[in-house]
Amino acid sequence: MRILVCSPQVPFARGGAEILAERLTHELNEQGHEADLVTMPFKWYPGAKVLTHALMWRMADLTEVDGRRVDLVIGTKFPSYAVKHPNKVVWLVHQFRQAYELDRTELGQFSESDEDRALRRAVQRLDRVALGEARKLGAISQNVADRVKRNLGLDAEVILPPPQQLAFRCDSYDDFVLSVNRLDRAKRIDLLLEAAAADGSMRLVIAGDGPDRERLEEVARRNGLDGRAVFAGRVSEGELADLYATCRGVYYAPVDEDYGMVPYEAFMARKPVVTTRDAGGPLDIVHDRETGLVIEPRAEELARACRFLLDHEEEARAWGNAGRAIAEQVTWERVIAQLLS
Amino acid sequence: MPPERSGIADYSALLLPALRELVDVEVARKGRPPRADVGLYHVGNNPESHAWIVEQLRREPGVVVLHDFVLHHLVAGMTLGRKDGPGYLAAMERDSGVAGRLLGLGVIDGCIPPLWEVRPEDFPLCGEVLDLATGLIVHSRFVAERVRERGYGGSVWHVPHPAWPAPDIAAERLDGGPVIGAFGNLNPSKRVPQLLDAFERFHDSHPDARLLLVGAAAPGFDLAWRIGHEGLQEAVVQVDYVDEERLWALMAGVDVVASLRAPTMGETSGTAIRALTLGKPLVVSDVGWFSELPDDVARKVKPDEREVDALVDALEASTAAAAEMGAAGRALAERHDLRRVADLYVAALEETVGGEAVRDEVLREVSEVAAEVGIAPASAEAAALGRAMDEIEL
Repeated sequence: MRILVCSPQVPFARGGAEILAERLTHELNEQGHEADLVTMPFKWYPGAKVLTHALMWRMADLTEVDGRRVDLVIGTKFPSYAVKHPNKVVWLVHQFRQAYELDRTELGQFSESDEDRALRRAVQRLDRVALGEARKLGAISQNVADRVKRNLGLDAEVILPPPQQLAFRCDSYDDFVLSVNRLDRAKRIDLLLEAAAADGSMRLVIAGDGPDRERLEEVARRNGLDGRAVFAGRVSEGELADLYATCRGVYYAPVDEDYGMVPYEAFMARKPVVTTRDAGGPLDIVHDRETGLVIEPRAEELARACRFLLDHEEEARAWGNAGRAIAEQVTWERVIAQLLS
Repeated sequence: MPPERSGIADYSALLLPALRELVDVEVARKGRPPRADVGLYHVGNNPESHAWIVEQLRREPGVVVLHDFVLHHLVAGMTLGRKDGPGYLAAMERDSGVAGRLLGLGVIDGCIPPLWEVRPEDFPLCGEVLDLATGLIVHSRFVAERVRERGYGGSVWHVPHPAWPAPDIAAERLDGGPVIGAFGNLNPSKRVPQLLDAFERFHDSHPDARLLLVGAAAPGFDLAWRIGHEGLQEAVVQVDYVDEERLWALMAGVDVVASLRAPTMGETSGTAIRALTLGKPLVVSDVGWFSELPDDVARKVKPDEREVDALVDALEASTAAAAEMGAAGRALAERHDLRRVADLYVAALEETVGGEAVRDEVLREVSEVAAEVGIAPASAEAAALGRAMDEIEL
C-alpha cells in the first residue's frame, strides 16, 4: 500500500510523537509498504492560529501525489488528523490537551474571555469531525483512549507503540535509581529529588535535558544531594542502554502522561518501574508488585518505594523480568496489523 | 420545572444541577426574566408550559432547546387560544403560504377539524421560534435535518438527551410475566390501541403475560372499554399518574418497555431514556428520534398497516433477547452521561457568546493569506477554502 503518515512539527523541538511517526513510517516500509512522512509546522498561538493550522492540514490534498493514488493516510497528533482522505486512520498520540483536561490549569492556554472560551470549543468541534470521520480510530494508550471517550464520546482501540530500538540488555542491578525524562515540571523530577533527600543515601542518575534543568540542579544542591544525584544531561543511545542495563530500577511519574515510552524501555532491560497512581499511560503496564511499584505522588512514599527496590534485588529482578514479558508483546508487526485491519 | 408534570420539566430538573457545576445559571420564572449573558429557552409544544417562554424569546433572542420540532399546538394555544385568529392565520401562512392561510380559515370557521389534532406534523409552525433562535440545541438528527430543511442557518448543536443515574430502588413487579410496560399519557398517538391489539395476540401465546399501562388516559379515550373489548381485564393493569420514585419502581419491574408514538412531533422520550438506564429492552415506533436508537437496544415498528403484526414480533423478539438488549441499553445510557451532556450545553452557550469573534478571526487570517498569494474572493480556490472550513466546522 502507498501510505502517508501525518505528523505536525514544532520547529527545533523533537519528542516522542515525532520519533513515533518516523518509526512508524520506517516500519511500514520495512514491511513492504511504500510509506512516507508528511509534516507541517504547527503553531498554536496567538488567537485562532490553532484553527488555521488545522485548516492547513485539511487543505492538503493527499488523495494522490504526482498522479499516483495514496491508499491510506495515518494521522497522529493534533492537528495532523484534520487531513481529509477517503481512507483515513488515526493513531492518536494526543489531542490538543489545552482544550481539554489542561484547560484552567497552569498548563492551559485559553483565558476566560468569551473569544477564548469559544476558541476552545471550536477545537473540540473540529476534533469531533476530524476524529469522528476516521475509518479507524486508535490510541497510543488506554489513557488517551479514555480521554477521547470522555471528551468526545468516541471509541478508540488501544494500539500500544513499541519502545525505541536500543541495545537493551541487563548487566546488573546496581544501587542507583534511574530517571529518563525531558526535564520539565510535568515530569515531576522534583519528587524524586525530594525522595532522595528524605532517604539519606539513595543515589540517582537523571538522564535528559530540558528547560527545568537549572532549577532542578538547584533543588538537588539545596537538598544536599551533591554526589548522590547525577544530572547526566542528554545521553547517547549507547549511554542510555548502559544506564538501563545497570540501574536497580527506573522512576517514571509524569502527570497524566499520554503514553510514556520509558517503562517499556526499562522493562526491555528487565528493570522494574516506580510510578504514581496519577501517571496515566504508564499504568497500562506498571502494575503494583508485579512489574514495579505504584504509589501516591508523595516524596516519602517514593523514598520508601525506591529504598525497597534498593534493598530487595530479588524482587527488582523478578518484577523487571515480568515487565520484559509484557514489553516483548508490543511489536511493530502488531501495531501495523492493528492499524491496517 | 417540577412540580409541573411534563417530560421537559423532568429533563430540566435533571440537567440544571449538572449545568450549575459548570456555569452560573439563573432560572427564569414567568414574568421575572433574569439578566444573563445568554438566554437558554426550553421550547416544547405545550402552550400552558411554553407560551411565556416564547414571549420572552421575542423580547430577547437566545439559544433555543427545541424539544419538539412540531409546535402547532403551542402556536394554536398562543393565538386561537387567546382569540387571536389573525395571529394563527399569519403563522399558517408563514408555514405553508396561501394554502396554509386558507386551511387556517377552514379551522377557524369549523369547516375542517383542528389541524393540531389531525395533521400537526404537516404544519409544524416552528418558523417564528427558528427566526428568534440565535442557536439551536436539538436531541436528534431528525430535528437537525428538519430545521435545516426549513432554512435555519444558525448553529445547531446535537446534544443527546441526558440519562438519569440508575436509582437505588426496589422493583415493583406484577405477578406473571413477561410484563410489558408502557409509560406516559395514554392516547391514540402513543399507539395504545395498536399495543392492546398486539398484546392480545401476544397474550394468546404467553397466558401469564401482563401489560402495565402507567399514565393518565386522555379525555375521550375510553381505555377501560378497549381493555374489556379485547377481553384483557385480567392481563392489563392501568396505574394513573405516579410520582418519579414509583415510576422507576414500576419500570424496574417490567421485562420490556414499549415506547410508541406516531405521528412524532420530533420529540425524544424520557421513558425510553429511563428504560435504557435500567437495562430494559425497548419496543419503539420507527419514527424520528426513535429511529436513531441503535438496533441492539430497540426493536422498531413502523406505524403502518402491518403495525400490529410487527408489534407482536417485536414483543416476542425483545422478550427473547432481553438480557443482550438490556446490556446494550445500559452501555448506551452511559454515552448519555449527564456531565457530558451538560458540557455540550456549555459548549453551545460559549460558542454562542464568543463564536462570532473566533469565526471573524479565522476568516480574516485566511482571507489575508489567500489575498497575498493571489486567490480572488470568487475563485474556485476560495470556494475550496470555504468548503474545507465548513468541513471542520470553522
